[in-house]
Amino acid sequence: MARVLITVRLPEGASLESAMSALGLEEDEVDTGYGLVPVDPGGGLYALRVSESAGRRVGGDGAAGPHADPPIEPFGPPR
Amino acid sequence: MRVLIQLRPSPDLVAAVAGRTATATAADVADGLPGVVLDRSYGPVAVPRPMPAVPGGDPLSLNQPLAFSMAPHEASVVVRGEIGDDEISTRVSLLPATRRDVVAVYADPVIESTPTCGGDGPVGDWHDVERLLRVTDLAAEGLDGSGVPLAITDTGINAGHVSAALGRAVTVDRERSWNPAGVSGRAGEFAVDHGTMCAFDTLVAAPKASLVDLPVLLSRRSGGTTMDGLLSDALAAYAHLRTVLEAQPAASRSLVISNSWGSFSPRWDFPPGHPGNYSDNPAHPFNLIVGSLAEAGADILFAAGNCGRQCPDSRCAYPDRSIVGANSHPRVLSIGGVDTKGERVGYSSQGPGRLAPRKPDLCSYTHFAGSGAFGADEPDSGTSAACPVAAGLVAAVRTRWPSAALSPAQLRTLLRRTADDRSDVGYDYDYGYGVVDVAGILAALRRRAARAA
Repeated sequence: MARVLITVRLPEGASLESAMSALGLEEDEVDTGYGLVPVDPGGGLYALRVSESAGRRVGGDGAAGPHADPPIEPFGPPR
Repeated sequence: MRVLIQLRPSPDLVAAVAGRTATATAADVADGLPGVVLDRSYGPVAVPRPMPAVPGGDPLSLNQPLAFSMAPHEASVVVRGEIGDDEISTRVSLLPATRRDVVAVYADPVIESTPTCGGDGPVGDWHDVERLLRVTDLAAEGLDGSGVPLAITDTGINAGHVSAALGRAVTVDRERSWNPAGVSGRAGEFAVDHGTMCAFDTLVAAPKASLVDLPVLLSRRSGGTTMDGLLSDALAAYAHLRTVLEAQPAASRSLVISNSWGSFSPRWDFPPGHPGNYSDNPAHPFNLIVGSLAEAGADILFAAGNCGRQCPDSRCAYPDRSIVGANSHPRVLSIGGVDTKGERVGYSSQGPGRLAPRKPDLCSYTHFAGSGAFGADEPDSGTSAACPVAAGLVAAVRTRWPSAALSPAQLRTLLRRTADDRSDVGYDYDYGYGVVDVAGILAALRRRAARAA
């Protein structure tokens, strides 16, 4: 599992840079193309896609996770 | 419980049943059997008596050469009836003792025909689906999807193909469409594939809906393969859809999201019980955003999957309970598939679901000649087709019933309550609450409108 998801609570309008800074994440540990995704912006909950080792390191220490990021496939035609 | 009751009535009656002298009814043979509700529509059937073919053979053994006699003094007669489940064992024991003509009581199990499976040709076409969904009746009530954003999270839409297959113009809302990072291409202009089939199928019931194109399954982000996306792409797409929903005025807000995809295997997931697990964990970020979007006013439909016991997709790798993750979320409609004859297709996944046990919720139509996205002779198949057919029906309803007037939870309940129940006892894990029933939906909406007036 090369990459995992983590979630973090940040002030509304937070940026990827502020999330990385708050969690102590390096750029090569984060999928910066994916960015910072608002899961529940009103509640201040955001998601990042990070390396599995980074997910294990920060999960439970400022962030929740690591959460699985499994492949998804179309359900058809049936094979 | 349905039962078959074997009796040995008078030779005259046996002869009549066998058609030799006169006709005879079930009541003539078996009226008054205590505790039995006789099925009078089922004509009595004469059954020959097996006898040893060789003189001196064991009269009770079937494991020897046999001859069969329909002679009136030797044959018996079978009738059909029903005995209450709570007294079946008592009645089966007492019947031969209380009625000397009763020989035995047998179970009468349901027998099933071979279901439609992957690789089978189409069963009917999309005009049959139009008829079954009473699209003319929907349109007469102004329920055609006009102005309703209908999001397709899939492989992208080819609007030109959809338009040609339908024979009419289609609307793609490019402003509200969205690509995952790294995916190029314009909304409505992607290669013809699975997403094009889904778009076509939504427009059967909602011909004027506005398609919102989200090609999440085209992502090539590291960790995926060439033929699929990642759940993180769907998470980002849902974050975008929240902005689509919240940008609308609250009084007229609507958004229908059709999802014909899922996870076939636990291989890339953390195991159930792990806090990062997806399949069984309502706290996974994607399951959280699905729930929050539904609460905010979106109608979210997921295909139940193609792991039905009769002919599962070869990719199915969950050992049991194959409706996993968001496909089994309590705040979505999980859609199974029936063919245009109303019979469940053999690949349609059965419940219980992992996040909520009562999955699938409903069944809708699939395996019909439709978009031709996979070739002119290939059906629109899988619960992949059933889900957008149902999503189109939901979008049609939303034309005049925004979420402020009928919340997603209320609409889910209405669809379940009005479904054409396909079992004896309400909900079942094959059909859910039943097959979507437009006549019932329209009647319920009229009653609701009358109450609100």
